[in-house]
Amino acid sequence: MNDILTTFGLDWGKFIAQCIVVLVVYAILAKYAFKPVLAMLDERRSRIEAGERNLKQVEEDMAKAEERVQALLDEANKGAERLIAEARESSEALRSQKSQEAINEAQTIIEKAREASRLEHQTAMNELKRDFGHLVIEATSKVTGKVLDEGDQKRINEETAGQVAL
Amino acid sequence: MDLHLPMISLNSLSPLIAAGGLNAPELPSLAWFTNSIFVALIVMVGVLLFTRMATRNMKLIPDGKQNFVELVIEFLYNQVEGIVGKHVAPKAFPLLATIFIFVVVANWFGMVPGVGTIGWGQTSGPLTISYMETPLLRPATADLNMTLALAVVFMFVWLWISVAELGVKGTFLHIFGPKGGLKGVLMWALMPIFIFVGLIEVISIVFRPMSLSLRLFGNVYAGETLLATMQGLGATLGFPGWLSAITSVVFPLPFYFLEILIGALQATVFALLCAVYIKLSTSHDDH
Repeated sequence: MNDILTTFGLDWGKFIAQCIVVLVVYAILAKYAFKPVLAMLDERRSRIEAGERNLKQVEEDMAKAEERVQALLDEANKGAERLIAEARESSEALRSQKSQEAINEAQTIIEKAREASRLEHQTAMNELKRDFGHLVIEATSKVTGKVLDEGDQKRINEETAGQVAL
Repeated sequence: MDLHLPMISLNSLSPLIAAGGLNAPELPSLAWFTNSIFVALIVMVGVLLFTRMATRNMKLIPDGKQNFVELVIEFLYNQVEGIVGKHVAPKAFPLLATIFIFVVVANWFGMVPGVGTIGWGQTSGPLTISYMETPLLRPATADLNMTLALAVVFMFVWLWISVAELGVKGTFLHIFGPKGGLKGVLMWALMPIFIFVGLIEVISIVFRPMSLSLRLFGNVYAGETLLATMQGLGATLGFPGWLSAITSVVFPLPFYFLEILIGALQATVFALLCAVYIKLSTSHDDH
């Protein structure tokens, strides 16, 4: 066995020296290469995962916000439609009320005008009768040459008014 | 026709001081500092400098060397994790990755022109040698001391990981205990078989360092010898000087590509077997 190992150049001193080389490479690579690189890979992986989580959260938040906006829009639309309907009903009622008031007012104005016309007509007729009575009295006194007293004038007036009354 | 093909000598592992010539005086206190150790140190310094430069100022968005080192380490970590599992991977990864990176760089370093081909030996003309006895630089993994060192260091780490994972009793039971969840009379009836299988397992564990180291050593040494043989084939076949000079470049060329592949393959096989050994010894039977 020793001969075989010697043939292949195996030697304790050289073997231990090579062991030390291997251990030094192992220790230094483990500390200064693998550790920082694996830590960096872990950090990058965790950042990517956090980014993905955040992205998912943002997407969920956006979806929720869109749903909220849509709900608000729907509610606003319903409110607007309700307000428009109410306004329409209200304007219809107001228009009807105002129309009725206008009709009533017009009716009142017509009634008043009619009353005023009637009174004016009455006044005019009275004045006409009085003027016509004066004319009859004056004509009678000129035709007859007689000065008419108050009793005659009153009688002629009443007869004239009775004849003129329509 | 009796052909004497040029090849690398198995005894070419020489103290570097003695590499000054076959008759150079050896210094006993520096006998360990061989041409192979020297190459191992060059590989070590190269790997460490490169990784240090790549990881000194690490950025979240990597560039250049950091990107390359991250790519390699992440790839290796995923492979190791896939074999040994998520739980054991953080413990096993540093050594397995060290083994792979060191072995692959050392293997490929052996193909750098001059490594294993410049040195001292039987001369066949001015500045030419027909038989390399003492190369100035010898590939680190073509030295059994290096491959055995890798295997032995791995076995110690393997033992630590196994005991840390299963405990001393658990490791013992893992090797000698009943398999397949057997209980009762059947378990006791089969106990001798399990103990026998455990003994075989212990023998296989004991031989693992040798199998790992000899496989790597044999492949790299054979590769070096193949390249040296191809380089000198023209002269061996009696080609004229100018033709053998051309064939010394042309003949080994395809084998360089083969050696690139074998260098990576052997590093993969070594690291893969180590990972499988860890997986076998840390897997819980109840899982």
